[in-house]
Amino acid sequence: MTKRVFKAAFVSSLPVLMGYSAMGMAAGILLAGTVKLKFLPFWAFLSSGINISGALQFIMVNWTEALLPLTQVALLTFCLNVRYAMYGFSLIEKFRPLPWLKRGYLIWSLTDETYALEVDSAARTPAGENQLDFCLGVAFLDHLYWLIGVTAGAVIGAALPFDSRGIDFAMTALFLVVLTDQCQSKINRLSAAVGIISAICGRVFFSTSNMLIPAMVMMGAVFIIFRGKFERKPEQKEGEE
Amino acid sequence: MSRETYFLCMTLTAGVVTIALRAFPFLMFSGNRPVPPVIRYIGKVLPPAAIAMLIVYCYCSAYQDKSFASGGFGLPELAASVLVVALQFWKRNPLLSIISGTILYMVIVQNFV
Repeated sequence: MTKRVFKAAFVSSLPVLMGYSAMGMAAGILLAGTVKLKFLPFWAFLSSGINISGALQFIMVNWTEALLPLTQVALLTFCLNVRYAMYGFSLIEKFRPLPWLKRGYLIWSLTDETYALEVDSAARTPAGENQLDFCLGVAFLDHLYWLIGVTAGAVIGAALPFDSRGIDFAMTALFLVVLTDQCQSKINRLSAAVGIISAICGRVFFSTSNMLIPAMVMMGAVFIIFRGKFERKPEQKEGEE
Repeated sequence: MSRETYFLCMTLTAGVVTIALRAFPFLMFSGNRPVPPVIRYIGKVLPPAAIAMLIVYCYCSAYQDKSFASGGFGLPELAASVLVVALQFWKRNPLLSIISGTILYMVIVQNFV
């Protein structure tokens, strides 16, 4: 990788630096303020380095407090991050020339923001430079910002004895922001309504710690049964999959 | 199981699922194999529903350990949520919305509840 392409990657990643360091720090402070763990900065470092996922980093705090069963952790992570499974489709061709190690790193480090820069790499790479080097640079820098943000937040949160009561609302706020943006489209509003009703039904019939799986089952059933109504052009109706 | 062990297992579980999701298209649909419509469909409609469900879950979790009355009858959540949604709708600046809403919520629960 040349200096020139790395510099281009750095310039492109600056908005992500702002976002990741602030959000990462909030997640780290939340973790430090809520969960009592030995070697907390290490755990913050490990979890943010492995997962590189914002919403997950926040909700992990709830899960640790509740010692949520791992099957539920897996299912919820799936629901939360299923969008990542869609991103790859537009990058398959682009990443193909890379050796498996570099390709593996790009796949592992794929986040919303990194994806947005990588699909736009052709326009952002300086002339004569390799687009894939640009992608690797962006992926590495974004990964680093997130890792440092979360770890620094955990260190600060543990060191500063400030009253962090209520900071857990940052997670709810993050979800509200994402949902507000998604609700610009009608189909997403309908989908969000399904999620809210399913969650309320789950809570009515089960306890808070057990509500999510029934809610997810209900959501899945509604989406499969009413697929024709949700798809813009209902090609075929299917009773089940 | 200690909290540390749980945290490690939880991180690894979430990590395996997250990385498998990221790798899914590269492993399954290399070449020109078309993506099954039902997968596209689920990938499109699921995210808003999952986020909405998690918001309800966050509110339920907030009241799990305390009574509705001692937590302020849901008013702190309502006020902070309205601020977050309104700011996001108006300014479309995620950081501004999240930080403002969280600070408002912290001020309310630390001083008035």
